[in-house]
Amino acid sequence: MSPKQSSYVELNAISHFSFLRGVSSCEELFSAAAQLGHKALGITDHNTVTGLVRAMVASDTTGVRLVAGCRLDLMDGNALLVWPEDRAAWSRLTRLLTIGKKRAIPKKGEKGQCFLHWEDVAQWRDGLVAALVPDKADGATQTALAQMRDIFGDRAHLALSLRRRPGDTVRLYELDRLAQRFGLRSLATGDVLYDSPDKRMLQDVVTAIRHICTIDELGFRRERYADRHLKSVAEMERRFAEHPDAIRATADIAERCTFSLRELSYQYPDEIVMSGHTPQHALEKMTRAALTARFPDGMPGEYSNLLEKELRLVAGWRFAPYFLTVNSIVAFARSQGILCQGRGSAANSMICYVLGITSIDPIKHKLLFERFLSDDRDEPPDIDVDFEHERREEVIQWIYETYGHDHAALTAVVSRYRTRGAIRDVGKALGLPEDVTGALSGQVWGWSNEGVADRHVEELGLDLSDPRIALTIELSRQLIGTPRHLSQHPGGFVLTRDRLDALVPIAPAAMEDRWVIEWEKDDLEELRIMKVDVLGLGMLGCMRRAFDLLAEHKGIRHGLEDLQKDDPAVFAMIQKADTLGTFQIESRAQMSMLPRLKPKEFYDLVIQVAIVRPGPIQGDMVHPYLRRREGKEKAEYPNPDLREVLEKTLGVPLFQEQAMKVAIVGAGFTPSEADSLRRSMATFKSTGGVSKFRDKMIEGMLKNGYERDFAERTFKQIEGFGSYGFPESHAASFAKIAYASSWMKHYHPDIFCAALLNAQPMGFYAPAQIVRDAREHGVEVRPVCINASRWDCTIEEQSGEYRAVRLGLRMVKGLANVHAAQILAVRDRPFRSVEDVWNRSGVSVSALERIAEADGFASLGLDRRQALWRVKALGRSTLPLFAAADAREEEREPAVRLKPMSDGREVIEDYRSLHLSLRAHPIGFIRPQLDAMNVVRCGNLQSTKDGRRIEVAGIVLIRQRPGKGNVTFLTIEDETGIANIIVWQRLFEIHRRPVMSASLLKIRGTVQHEGEVIHVIAKQLQDMTPMLHGIGEMPFPNRHGPADGANKGPDPREWAVAKTVSEGSARLPTARSEPVLKLKSRDFH
Amino acid sequence: MKRVASLFLPMLPIEWLRRLDRTGRSEPPPPDRPLVTTERQGQRVVLAAVCPLARSLGLHPGMPLTQARALVPGLDIRPAEPESDRALLMRLALFAARRWTPFVAIDQPDGLWLDISGCAHLFGGERRLCERILRTCRRAGFSARIAVAGATGAAHALARFAAEEIALCPNGEEAAAIAPLPPQALRIDEETANACRRFGIDTIGELAAMPRGPLARRFGNNVLARLDQALGRSAETFDPIIPREAPRAALRFLEPILSAEAIEQVIGDLAAMLACTLEQQGLGARRVMLACDRVDGDEQTIVIGLASATRDSGHLASLLRMKIEQIEPGFGIEAIRLIATRSEPLAARQVASLEPDCEAELPPLVDRIATRIGMHRVFQMSSIESDVPERSVRHSAPLARAAGWSREWPRPVRLLARPERVGKVIAELPDQPPLRFSWRGETHRIRKADGPERIYGEWWKTLREADSVRDYFQVEDESGARFWLFRRGDGLDPRTGDLSWYIHGVFG
Repeated sequence: MSPKQSSYVELNAISHFSFLRGVSSCEELFSAAAQLGHKALGITDHNTVTGLVRAMVASDTTGVRLVAGCRLDLMDGNALLVWPEDRAAWSRLTRLLTIGKKRAIPKKGEKGQCFLHWEDVAQWRDGLVAALVPDKADGATQTALAQMRDIFGDRAHLALSLRRRPGDTVRLYELDRLAQRFGLRSLATGDVLYDSPDKRMLQDVVTAIRHICTIDELGFRRERYADRHLKSVAEMERRFAEHPDAIRATADIAERCTFSLRELSYQYPDEIVMSGHTPQHALEKMTRAALTARFPDGMPGEYSNLLEKELRLVAGWRFAPYFLTVNSIVAFARSQGILCQGRGSAANSMICYVLGITSIDPIKHKLLFERFLSDDRDEPPDIDVDFEHERREEVIQWIYETYGHDHAALTAVVSRYRTRGAIRDVGKALGLPEDVTGALSGQVWGWSNEGVADRHVEELGLDLSDPRIALTIELSRQLIGTPRHLSQHPGGFVLTRDRLDALVPIAPAAMEDRWVIEWEKDDLEELRIMKVDVLGLGMLGCMRRAFDLLAEHKGIRHGLEDLQKDDPAVFAMIQKADTLGTFQIESRAQMSMLPRLKPKEFYDLVIQVAIVRPGPIQGDMVHPYLRRREGKEKAEYPNPDLREVLEKTLGVPLFQEQAMKVAIVGAGFTPSEADSLRRSMATFKSTGGVSKFRDKMIEGMLKNGYERDFAERTFKQIEGFGSYGFPESHAASFAKIAYASSWMKHYHPDIFCAALLNAQPMGFYAPAQIVRDAREHGVEVRPVCINASRWDCTIEEQSGEYRAVRLGLRMVKGLANVHAAQILAVRDRPFRSVEDVWNRSGVSVSALERIAEADGFASLGLDRRQALWRVKALGRSTLPLFAAADAREEEREPAVRLKPMSDGREVIEDYRSLHLSLRAHPIGFIRPQLDAMNVVRCGNLQSTKDGRRIEVAGIVLIRQRPGKGNVTFLTIEDETGIANIIVWQRLFEIHRRPVMSASLLKIRGTVQHEGEVIHVIAKQLQDMTPMLHGIGEMPFPNRHGPADGANKGPDPREWAVAKTVSEGSARLPTARSEPVLKLKSRDFH
Repeated sequence: MKRVASLFLPMLPIEWLRRLDRTGRSEPPPPDRPLVTTERQGQRVVLAAVCPLARSLGLHPGMPLTQARALVPGLDIRPAEPESDRALLMRLALFAARRWTPFVAIDQPDGLWLDISGCAHLFGGERRLCERILRTCRRAGFSARIAVAGATGAAHALARFAAEEIALCPNGEEAAAIAPLPPQALRIDEETANACRRFGIDTIGELAAMPRGPLARRFGNNVLARLDQALGRSAETFDPIIPREAPRAALRFLEPILSAEAIEQVIGDLAAMLACTLEQQGLGARRVMLACDRVDGDEQTIVIGLASATRDSGHLASLLRMKIEQIEPGFGIEAIRLIATRSEPLAARQVASLEPDCEAELPPLVDRIATRIGMHRVFQMSSIESDVPERSVRHSAPLARAAGWSREWPRPVRLLARPERVGKVIAELPDQPPLRFSWRGETHRIRKADGPERIYGEWWKTLREADSVRDYFQVEDESGARFWLFRRGDGLDPRTGDLSWYIHGVFG
């Protein structure tokens, strides 16, 4: 063996997947290793193999071979490094880790821990090369060495690392002697914590974060052994010059452990659908039969041709079991009446359509077939299935039952530091006061990965020259992107035929009965492991409820798949942007685009869903598309190849498939290059991932004869929608649901309203707006009633076009489902009184209080106050024996006369207890004052001329700051309708406070008509919230009516007192308890 | 006839923060910036007190800090200091008890009770007294409101909710006076006050008019009790503050004394008297001041500190006597006082013990030494968890429990106060020990060495240390003397140090 070959190999390095210990990513470690002349690098994260797939990818790019390993921290305090020799040993390692992880009980706060003992290691030792990480050459080490010798025999090593502490040389010498005595081989390791010495500060900080203390308090809990960065081969050989065999041992292990994660062959689970058939045969049989059943009167040729083409491809890649698996899951859901719909790359396929996995007819809707499968890419197909949000759990449990816990587990999601968390944790570790870190992280809107800008720090009046603040900013920027912990993917299942824990360790999730593997989505894709996404979608639940109600009350039986025909009436409604409550096309941005895009058919909706997203908007794709659609501009296609790709979207690349196709057709990418382009678009974490393809793409296009201008524009568009881009199949699936919900809203607004209310919380709008919209469409909505309401909102008979909607008890704030159920269970005959409800149901007083607050006893002749008064008297004695006595006492009680509530107060109480009021709109009460200020009603904006300067006022319903936040959308509402306000960044900075916090806003601005959607471009904003405070004292402004004493407003003397009190309120400690109208807006950042 | 005044200091925490003379606060908050204090409520940080300016900007107590911050940029945020506020209230109460009426009690968190029955006429009537109290508060920088009534609850309510700053309510007219006030003026919890409002009971008058049975059933008895206290139907007692003074003993002389012997004699007597007082109060002195009033009006003082609380008169006297020469009697001393300026609780101790009690012997010894050479010169060494040698030790109080050292990584017995540069060092880079060095004119040839021990700068202390590294070596020269040397820099990266050599300690 030549000396060159036996050079040092670093086998003991940890990545940042050793959470809050390591601070270097695998990419950093491997590129540093490559620079320092390493041929191979061993990654040994603490009790985990999470980072190994990332390491494998980094190893591929750098050419430094990965020696996959793991550091096992045993319960007795010993630590050992293990490296599997081969595939079989890998499986033993993953099973060993699984055993240790399954001992952790997440409920006790042990999530993510791993409990292992020597006996466990002994059981799974075969094929693992191991090294003990010792402290000193003392008794404890001797005991451990004996264990090592007995367990691992000639595969046992003792790791020697320099600590740069007193007596280091002697320590290593003694350890080496000890190893020899026990017949173990010494092994030189660097015990690497980070790739470069510059990471030391960050490492200290994460240690402080791990110990939940400040860096000043950390003391000796800091990593005290020095020199923990990756060092060059020559340097390590110099340092261990006195232990030449320990150097040789590293090379020997690297040579011995040749296992690569690429060897992990993966088997699809067996689907036994038809005994005696291969999966492929079964799939063919099933799909052909299903296609025939769909067209009993003769099958159109194009359908069967497409199906056969797909089946051939599936056969080539042996993906049949995958389709069968998805089909069984969907079939189960169908059998339980759970609404579901597939999306993902394979969802465009005829196979999925005929099997009912999707309801989009690929022929009819002319879907791009490209991303499904092609002969060039051996990527597993991808099908995500959306299920009804509330019943997804049934599907998940069925999967566990059917495939078993050993074969099914959820994908992991690595939670990484984003700006806010990084600032918060680093600030805490550096001992910054909480309000400073709070202020710093408060400057970051949403999920940013960009760190805090210096500008923001100065705006806060903080001193950037203060070293701690400067360090916090700097170190938190470094920390961004570092994994913090593993959590579970919402629904990505990995299913295998062999034991899953022989492939990857499985750990219990925080939720009971959930198991999570250690790898995330990208890792699985890298290893070509199949994943089925079982996701929850609120709107599907809503639609199922709607279909059920439709069948029950109107006798119409419909399903998602029945709505294939484009109905012009529904599209007419969509064009008017009358889409409140519908799926996807209900947001402000979507609504404002609808009148311009004027969708006429299904595919228009597909585009609508895909185009009105931050990416395309930023990539400047919307306007070219609109101009071309309106015929103001001609779509340009430099050549027929691109025309074929881009014709559907008028020359604008809108979908990921198109971006890929453009890269292949236009710039000569290989399919796998195009795929990594897509991948870089799909992972939102990777910042600037798309940009690295820029040169290749533009040069490729130039070479193929495109003009530079066109090439750059095209790339800019692709780059723009990068992280937000939709695959076409997703857009199509969403469009399908969007259409179905619009259909429901158009033809059955009563049922749609009830279903939507029952599916809350969901979507952009609060119940108040949903109810209001339904009422505007002519639906009668009836109040909550103890004798009529069920838990859900229900449909009640009513003459006229639509049925009436009865609000359910679920609308009552703070009322638990079990309590409501308890009451409804004993409602065999109508309740006569509050006491009757209480005696018969035995429900808690507080539950009845909630109902009384919601005015649910009105049908018993009790107004809100009276009912509450009665409820409050209950429950002073809860023994049934005294119940009768109580009831009698109730009768004996002296009569108490309570002042009736003012009209304004009733509305306020409605909002407090139900979040909506059927009586009146709060703004109605202050209309006289607003009129005096010349404020225009929102409903009158329609007839206001374009470009006029006006003032509007209303309650803020929604605040939205899409994308980069250079615009804020506000939706305000008054008693006549809603108005859409646009606040540009400059104005926002000036009026930050009212924009972000006001309940009632007055806006001066310019009216802008865009088809039927009207915006007000704000020029000035004023917080009018104090006006709302008086509403509680007000009668209806238009109903002064004959004063009968009881109904008149507050006594003027009281008013005077109230006024002096509130004027002096600066002095009052209790001024905050004033009951005012509490309106919570929905904010989307 | 009972008359109770309720003094209300609504802005106490804020105004206390703004006071210039607060100990330990070099600069008060700027008056033109909105000022709030914050407290932690579970996981949230909420506003505790709000200055008028901040309130006018829409902030109020109980609001989450994050929201407040979003609303008002440039907010001056300070942590609430309820302890400090309480201490202030106590001081105000003591002041009031000395000045106006002996019966003063603290009304947490922002008020005082003053029982002024029968003493208002001393100040020219109730109104004059109230004006005087408010004036005093204002001069001290606190806004205040006050109300006087026959019933505690009524006074409390009127102080907080009446329109005028001074509300005087004749006995028997409480009901009418508080009738228009909202129920929350009754010192009932927020939940009950809200419940009242929900039933449309907007004033105390309306509440009082309700039948008592149904009220008690729904709101509990507390509401009725508070109502009765406000209407004078039931009495309420409070614990008056009794001004407490530091334990002291004093002697006055017919003839001024001049001689050290005489002073010595007096010290003995006073120490015995003070010890007696301390014993009665269950206290032990930690610091004692001897004050001598000279005939010429000058005051001479000596102060002694004690390592642990004591009331041993002999010990006190002997310590004081050690300092007698510091007293300059001048033309004579006419009075001497001995005051325990700092004392802490000290329980009685069992004295009978056959074994000599070493622990008991130590404090007097420490006291004697400290009194002789100065209190700051007696200390013990304790360790700090820091790898930087000069930061790893600190002085701690002589009798405190000190943290020890780990023996694992030996450190020199004697650490130089400041590392000294050594010259003529020959050492191989990057990490070999020096072969020789010269220090204080002497050249040492090194025979044995261990190292390097690499110690990083503590970057969080100062940014200058961000990159700095010291490589320490233990070396032994030909004579067997051992030294602790270090080189600045890791020998590779110039940012880590300039490769100069220092000696930092000597092994025994």
